[in-house]
Amino acid sequence: MSRSNTSFGLQASPKHPVTLNVNGDEHDLLIEPRKTLLAVLRDTIGLTGTKEGCSTGDCGACTVIVDGKAVTSCMVLGVTASGKEITTIEGLASDGELHPIQQAFINTGGYQCGFCTPGFIMASKALVDENPNRTEEEFRFALGGNICRCTGYTKILEAVLQAAEEIRTTHREQAE
Amino acid sequence: MSDYSVVGKKLPRVDAVEKVTGAAQYGADVHPAGMLYGKIVRSKHAHANILSIDTSEAEKLPGVRAIVTQDDVPSGRRVFATNKVLYLGEPLAAVAATDADVAEEAAELIKIEYEVLPVVQDVIESIKPSAPRLHSDETKDGPNRRNINAKIKELSDAESDDNQDTIRKLQAELEKHQDEIYYNISAETHTEAGDVEKGFADSDVVVEDTYVIPRVHQTYMEPHVSVASADSSGKVTVWASTQGPFAIRSGIAGTLGIPLTQINVIGTTMGGGFGGRFGVIITHVPAVLLSQKAGRPVRVQMTREEEFLDGRPAPGCVIKIKTGATKDGHILARQALAFWDSGSVSGASIGSTIRVRGVYKIPNIKIDAYGVHTNKSGTAAYRAPGAPQAIFAGESQLDDIAEKIGMDPVKFRLMNMREEGDAVPAGGSEPKVGYKETLEAVADAAGWWDRTVDDNQGWGVAVGDWTNGCGPGGVYVSVHEDGSARIFHGSMDITGTDTAITQIIAEILTVPYENVTIRRGDTDSAPYSTGSGGSVVTFTMGNTAKLAAEDARKRILQLASERLNTNEDNLELRDGGVHLITADPPKSISLGELAAFSLSTTGGPIVGKGSFARQPSTPALAAQIAKVEVDPDTGRTRVLKLIASQDVGFAINPMAVEGQIEGGVVQGYAWAMMEEMQYGENGNVNPGFVDYRVPTSADLPTVESVIVEVPAPNGPYGAKGVGEPPITPTLATMANAVKDAIGIRVTELPIKPEKVVEALKNNGHGK
Repeated sequence: MSRSNTSFGLQASPKHPVTLNVNGDEHDLLIEPRKTLLAVLRDTIGLTGTKEGCSTGDCGACTVIVDGKAVTSCMVLGVTASGKEITTIEGLASDGELHPIQQAFINTGGYQCGFCTPGFIMASKALVDENPNRTEEEFRFALGGNICRCTGYTKILEAVLQAAEEIRTTHREQAE
Repeated sequence: MSDYSVVGKKLPRVDAVEKVTGAAQYGADVHPAGMLYGKIVRSKHAHANILSIDTSEAEKLPGVRAIVTQDDVPSGRRVFATNKVLYLGEPLAAVAATDADVAEEAAELIKIEYEVLPVVQDVIESIKPSAPRLHSDETKDGPNRRNINAKIKELSDAESDDNQDTIRKLQAELEKHQDEIYYNISAETHTEAGDVEKGFADSDVVVEDTYVIPRVHQTYMEPHVSVASADSSGKVTVWASTQGPFAIRSGIAGTLGIPLTQINVIGTTMGGGFGGRFGVIITHVPAVLLSQKAGRPVRVQMTREEEFLDGRPAPGCVIKIKTGATKDGHILARQALAFWDSGSVSGASIGSTIRVRGVYKIPNIKIDAYGVHTNKSGTAAYRAPGAPQAIFAGESQLDDIAEKIGMDPVKFRLMNMREEGDAVPAGGSEPKVGYKETLEAVADAAGWWDRTVDDNQGWGVAVGDWTNGCGPGGVYVSVHEDGSARIFHGSMDITGTDTAITQIIAEILTVPYENVTIRRGDTDSAPYSTGSGGSVVTFTMGNTAKLAAEDARKRILQLASERLNTNEDNLELRDGGVHLITADPPKSISLGELAAFSLSTTGGPIVGKGSFARQPSTPALAAQIAKVEVDPDTGRTRVLKLIASQDVGFAINPMAVEGQIEGGVVQGYAWAMMEEMQYGENGNVNPGFVDYRVPTSADLPTVESVIVEVPAPNGPYGAKGVGEPPITPTLATMANAVKDAIGIRVTELPIKPEKVVEALKNNGHGK
């Protein structure tokens, strides 16, 4: 009936040495092969900003960016992320400045309880990085892997569109 | 426009940065040194006798530090099942181990011997004599038997021989209602006003239907979690994800026989609650028991699957409802008989059946409601508990009446709505509430009056009412030497309430909003606070905050009068300072200077205190309109427009208020169209997000909200609780829109595509 959150229900086996690059920091770790990336981030490294909402890859609360792609970290084994570039919510703000997506979520009230917010922000970042020119309809569809139970999504979409607009402007200014 | 400078403004929330950076500490983010991982051992059957529980193999597993069962519960309150389990996933024991996976393995090693019993999952089956009994053989009478028995008792009490014939006739009559001997009843409530039989007889149109509403889960994104640490002196600290830390403290004290002040509950940032996060025994008590036994901190965290099996969702129910009206549109009578699925324990919002009355002038009303046991977990509140179910039945049927008499559904509602001064069934008279204003506002915003439809499209309207609760709270506010203010209190922030409290205090003290900070204390340090549910927080804590700020203001003016050597009447607090209005040239002193000055006065620092418990609340109305398009081939309903208006009294932060409305509407939409906890022969069969679908951004268009402000006399700045009302009418709004689109009334939620296809087929429309 039940299944462990942290390990896909896999059997215990000897720990493996891995090096995880998280938010630019290298972590040399000894981890059990069965532990998910989410469990390693939260329990081993202590980065608890990434949330566990379902542990089945359905809610998106644990979304992090691995080599530029948004992934649900509960569906990835920690050992397989060795050598990859991982960005979590803690790695988004730089030099004390919030990322435009974080700021947009604040401006529009795009969060309430905040539990899904790190996942939404990371998923949005990956989408905006890939293509900031999406329409609202396209963003609505593309964010369909993340569940928010508080906002009804209206203000989340406002936030993402506002951030995308700002990023487009920045791109234009840089191009000029 | 208001004259206020901080309240009434769309300001960013006080917890903004911590929430968008991942810094906010939720329950599962707490990790004290030496922490163990707890796991609850759960029943694999929905109904079974327990023959034995053998923990010996689990105890031998390396890393296991504690195993607890009901034997460890001193009060005897049911935390773990012993002789019999009543639902799939019911707790039987709990283990703590050095690693989450070891705890999981240990849980699997606990051997339970079951003797499986027949299961009942449906309320209508459960009340029959053939149903297995969950608790006892006791029976209750249905409405007709109750009436007849009451008459018999009256006549018998009169002790007159003339009555014997009538009594015999009544007893024969009673025999005819054998089907009204109900089994497995957990609770009942009955309300009557006027004479419904006469009301129906006087009506030109009478409609009667049975509505079926499924059990749905609050589905807050953060599963239940607690971290408990019991030290050797007996002091217990609990980091709890809860809406009510003080209630959790007393719940743990009562269940485990620990003195109240030996328990400190630290409320962690809450990942959604919606009413479902008040439970004491779900994770908090098991965590404390394990920590006491292991002598180390223990975290008990539910998986999403466990949430579905052993959370406390909203009850489903079956409501038989009958309404009578005159052909010119006056509702004369309404009667309802409801069976609420309370699961294995009693409860289940049966009192909310009265919500079928709505905000209408209905002279004759009769309500009979029963809670019914089934082999499911118990239930709890979910956003206006019981109202969405009852209002779904009431507002759906209202549309059918309007159609039968050929009246516009908005006009029909406007015509029957109660007005200020009308008698209220519970006693007293109706206060000023924006019932009509709210409905008119949504109709105007939606373009209802000149609405158009293409093929397979339809419009639906419904309204729902709710009144915020009220409870005790305390707030302190201090003003510091740099002119900033700090608020201290004990209530859990429920999506924006800390922000509302901060705005109110900034408004009164005239301190810039960004210079007012707010801290929540734990139960050891903070003044008592009511739980954050029932839309109470802004009403209660807002009033409390106002009192605290006004108290601080008094001290500020006192200090200024001392400092500026003048009468307080000549002083004015504004723009972060006190101004001597009679002085020329102007003379003023800043709050920072006064705070610094206060430190060397007899009266001491500026500390305002507010304490409050209750004032009568004022009802709120939510009115919604949906436009949908139904694909007759696939049965899929697409929302084209969803607009919600609400009388919020006064919006202290309109951005937060809109967010509450939009979120509530989408939850209501989901209940109408998508969500349903499904039960098979052995309990819940859809305990995960693949089979229990909640809406994502891809399912809906933008929800538009319209704020209506008719002030509540006792609310802070006129504010009413806003969290619960928006979910109340959405179920009916959606059902009425689908009805308008396909011409068929779907009475059983959710309105999934297959149900629409089936309905069309049965009515000769489909293929």
